[in-house]
Amino acid sequence: MDQNIKQRIESIISNIDQLPPLPEVASKVINMVSDPDVSFKLVAQEISKNQAMTANILKLCNSAFFSKGKEITSIDRAIVTLGLKEVKDIVLLVAAKPVLDKPVSGYDLAQGDLWKQGLAVATMSRDIAIAKKRKDLSDIVFTGGIIHNVGKVVIALFVQQAFRQILELVQTGNIAFHVAEKEIMGYNHQEVGEKILIKWNFPPVLRSIVRFYQDPSASPPEHMLEVSIVHIANAICLMGGVGIGSDGLYHEIKDEAIKKTGLTQAELEELYTRVPDILKQIRDLQ
Amino acid sequence: MSEIITVGVAQMRYSSSPAVLRTILGSCVGICIYDRVKKIGGMAHILLPQNQKNNPNLEKYADTAVPLLVKTLLKEGSKKENLSAKIAGGASMFKFGSNISLGQIGDRNIEQTKQELQKLGIPLLVEDVGGNLGKVIDFYLEDGRMKVKAGGQEKMYYKV
Repeated sequence: MDQNIKQRIESIISNIDQLPPLPEVASKVINMVSDPDVSFKLVAQEISKNQAMTANILKLCNSAFFSKGKEITSIDRAIVTLGLKEVKDIVLLVAAKPVLDKPVSGYDLAQGDLWKQGLAVATMSRDIAIAKKRKDLSDIVFTGGIIHNVGKVVIALFVQQAFRQILELVQTGNIAFHVAEKEIMGYNHQEVGEKILIKWNFPPVLRSIVRFYQDPSASPPEHMLEVSIVHIANAICLMGGVGIGSDGLYHEIKDEAIKKTGLTQAELEELYTRVPDILKQIRDLQ
Repeated sequence: MSEIITVGVAQMRYSSSPAVLRTILGSCVGICIYDRVKKIGGMAHILLPQNQKNNPNLEKYADTAVPLLVKTLLKEGSKKENLSAKIAGGASMFKFGSNISLGQIGDRNIEQTKQELQKLGIPLLVEDVGGNLGKVIDFYLEDGRMKVKAGGQEKMYYKV
């Protein structure tokens, strides 16, 4: 283990100011919407306070991806037309883009790659939830898909320094990339991602997705289905080459996750086949 | 700087010297075919081995994209005896459950691609395939060389 890198990561994750910020409205809205009795009006008011974001939110409401045909010109209308959960997803997209739409050099990802991968994983996760008759989870796994990789933004600098060591350990030790990250640097990007979500005050299910998306069976049982969905979507998108970085396919597809979702072999292949369509769908969100 | 043409998933593109064709691969296979005399070439980025349901997107499958790529170059005036191929990609997930057939998709893509090239009589000069790393490939139409970047390292293949 590289003690120097470990200490430097520790000093970042123990200092909240060094982790990437997110506009407060995003965490407020996410937490408000998780309350089934929340008032539409209050959510609309909260969003509308942030004028800079509102314009971008309305733009996305009218994108091919989210639009239901009618032009939406206010947050109130957006909530009525698209639904509260859909609008929450859009708020998060607008808030998280500046954090994720960056080059992530340690993983050899150019600007836009990490963001695109998040969008693709989010969209595929949503599709899995709907196909498996769990529409109630579709917004959570969408949000989780967007941010599942967020820890990479912080840890990339160290991965760049330690890359040769990590890859060598992956190959000699026959272990997955994120396991080697932890061995060499003391932390992996999932742990760092979880710290970021704690700073952002995100709900436990999203923290579980970020923390355990590579290893769903380690997640709290009540979140295992959501985590498994993002696990599978991430693996399939990487196989399709979407956002594939220097860590390549040194990851796993877990049997337990497949079992948990009930996806059949044919359905998995179908999801993989749909990668080009998903890339087309997300084009206007990039 | 030569023009870089990005080839997306399930797409085929062709051009002439000095353009560069580029794609990023996971389990997909990138097929580069070069005409050393006319200095033109094309790249296909296939996602799956076989087009079993007669999908109209021929560029998505090895068994329809490879013939399409060769046909396109012949239409551009290439002679078959001047064509040669290089392929890369077809990586697999590092570990996957024993009953997850999608895990073998990389190997199936490689196998089908080779069969198609053989059927058409296009010599396969270079294959940088399999393993667990993603690959970025650049195909330089000025001389047909192929650069493969994987795991932070680059390899250059010059044979045409």
